[in-house]
Amino acid sequence: MILRLRQATPPDRVQALRERLERAGLRTVLSSEPSRPIVAVVDKVDADLARELAADDAVEEIVEPRGDWRQVHRAFRECPSTVQVGDVSVGGGAVVVIAGPCSVEGRELMLEVAQRVKDAGAHILRGGAFKPRTSPYAFQGLGVEGLRQLKDAGEAVGLPVVSEIMDAAEVDAFVDHDIDCLQIGARNMQNFTLLKAVARAGRAVLLKRGLSATIDEWLHAAEYIAAGGCERIILCERGIRTFETATRNTLDLTVLPLLREWTHLPIIVDPAHAAGIARLIPPLSRASVAAGADGIAVEVHPHPELARSDGPQALLPSELAGLVADARIQAAVTGRVFHA
Amino acid sequence: MMPTRRHQLVRLDQALLSLLNERARLLGGEAEDDPGRLAAIDDLLRRNTGPFGADALGAVFAAIDAGCAAVSRGADPFRRAP
Repeated sequence: MILRLRQATPPDRVQALRERLERAGLRTVLSSEPSRPIVAVVDKVDADLARELAADDAVEEIVEPRGDWRQVHRAFRECPSTVQVGDVSVGGGAVVVIAGPCSVEGRELMLEVAQRVKDAGAHILRGGAFKPRTSPYAFQGLGVEGLRQLKDAGEAVGLPVVSEIMDAAEVDAFVDHDIDCLQIGARNMQNFTLLKAVARAGRAVLLKRGLSATIDEWLHAAEYIAAGGCERIILCERGIRTFETATRNTLDLTVLPLLREWTHLPIIVDPAHAAGIARLIPPLSRASVAAGADGIAVEVHPHPELARSDGPQALLPSELAGLVADARIQAAVTGRVFHA
Repeated sequence: MMPTRRHQLVRLDQALLSLLNERARLLGGEAEDDPGRLAAIDDLLRRNTGPFGADALGAVFAAIDAGCAAVSRGADPFRRAP
């Protein structure tokens, strides 16, 4: 249950309400929403107490979430939230582009890609240092050295960085290398130990949708991170597994308008992992921004045929520039702006 | 319900306005110094198949350029008198 209190409710009145609930054995969480007090009641409220709350003058509205996700529920905030990644705000009406190589492959190449990504107009640099590969014999990433090269490249061109974390034991390495945003990959969306660990890292978290996850399961995963103390969560739709085999996955754009109703979290789209085919990425990106995505995440490589992972779905830097130009137009015609 | 023609025109005007503002935003307050700009516009107008006429479009682009130049100078030449 989420209790949206009247705007003028004084703090001591809010505190009294929370104490009343906690005396009944119910855990509560106060939203950081500045414009009005909003209290999430984590545990199930019995009928008698629910009637008491409904009659409380301070309570303007009671919302019953459809799942056990409270803190990521749309009603837990007055407006859609924005997430700070370095100096870039994700969400809040401005469209951002995240781009970079699938894997960090070496210092020189990382620097080159970072500069070209920056020149093309992207806002956040991505690059995988720890790679979850289907085959144990495939390139597994450069590990901690990859984090170092990614961060150095980001600093060299003035872009914040995002990289995938696969193991709770790696959190310290990500923090020590000042990685601005920790990405939870699709395969780890329900690795609850990892979700709890990244929540404590004090960084923004980009949570990809599991390849067979329902929206409800995805939001429960996000709730794990929120419950762990991290409010800076970005959702990322990256395609789901269906009967279709012509593409790597099926991009589910349905989530964009639906999640706008269900959650306050920003939502970006990764059309590359959905399609798995580079030439499909520009139209899917346009569709994503038109459908309300807060951003696009794509892979870029100057020589996709030589990439050590996911080359077939990597854009050339020149193609990224075209995608950015299109995103700028789509953002404008849908009443939003492209992030400066 | 089908949107009325008036409603569709309002939406198009909103989109045009947003695109013009995005164009100015992209310039970031800097003067546009592309020497190929006029040739590029001429090329666009030559390839235009209408129904908007080339003369009218030329005037529209001239107004856009004047507006963007004014933004770079921090002025608005088209500001209406109060």
